[in-house]
Amino acid sequence: MKATVIETSEPKLLPGDFAIWIFIFAELLVFGIFFLIYAVVRAQNVELFNQYQDTLNREIGAINTLLLITASFFVVKAVHAIREDKLASCANWLYASLGAGAGFLILKSTEFYGKFSAGISMDTNTFYFFYISLTFFHFLHVILGMIILLAVLVKTKRGKYSEQEHTGVETGASYWHMVDLVWIILFPLVYIIR
Amino acid sequence: MMVLTVSTYMMGALQLGGTGVVMFLLLTMIIKSTLIIRDFMELRGVSTLWKVIMYGWLGIVTLGIAVAYLASS
Repeated sequence: MKATVIETSEPKLLPGDFAIWIFIFAELLVFGIFFLIYAVVRAQNVELFNQYQDTLNREIGAINTLLLITASFFVVKAVHAIREDKLASCANWLYASLGAGAGFLILKSTEFYGKFSAGISMDTNTFYFFYISLTFFHFLHVILGMIILLAVLVKTKRGKYSEQEHTGVETGASYWHMVDLVWIILFPLVYIIR
Repeated sequence: MMVLTVSTYMMGALQLGGTGVVMFLLLTMIIKSTLIIRDFMELRGVSTLWKVIMYGWLGIVTLGIAVAYLASS
């Protein structure tokens, strides 16, 4: 008589340190409220928002989207590399993701510079209030994400992570993907939808 | 995701608007976000609670944008 084996599979744990997920959920809540307020205010000022949306550089916005997606892909590769104990490969993928992130910051800075040097500020009108506050808030998150990835890179180079212990890499990766996720919504909402 | 991003950009470059276009944009936004949540953030296989929080957030934000747009058009 054969014994019947019943396999029960426990759900996976969230990747990385659990604390970062509390931070991620809180950040998403703030951005979510910001997005909804933008949508509601836009609904009350459609002509104004459409008019000034045309002054934005959609090419830079699209390239920046591609840069963030690429950076996220590189971070995924870094996580996969460390899980196979490939520290050098992990570090190289992190360098690549930081490069893509730096590309985003440079392009976004040129966009901000163009607007600010033209005398545009948050006081210019309601559209620019939201455009500058939303994109600048996200810009700060990209900087923080890059600082976290840089710290992960330094620890990787020092051999602090391994196939068995790589929570820090997963933690940094999770935060970076959140930054990417927010931009995926921000770009069509602010630059495209009319 | 790259293709969807380029299609999103093209909609903007051609200055296309209207309910159909916006619904398409929101659909591509949901697809890209789901890919990030599921595959990049690795939420496939985690507890239902975390999935409800993440996909619920995405759903509420998308629905809110859609309702606000429809209310203004």
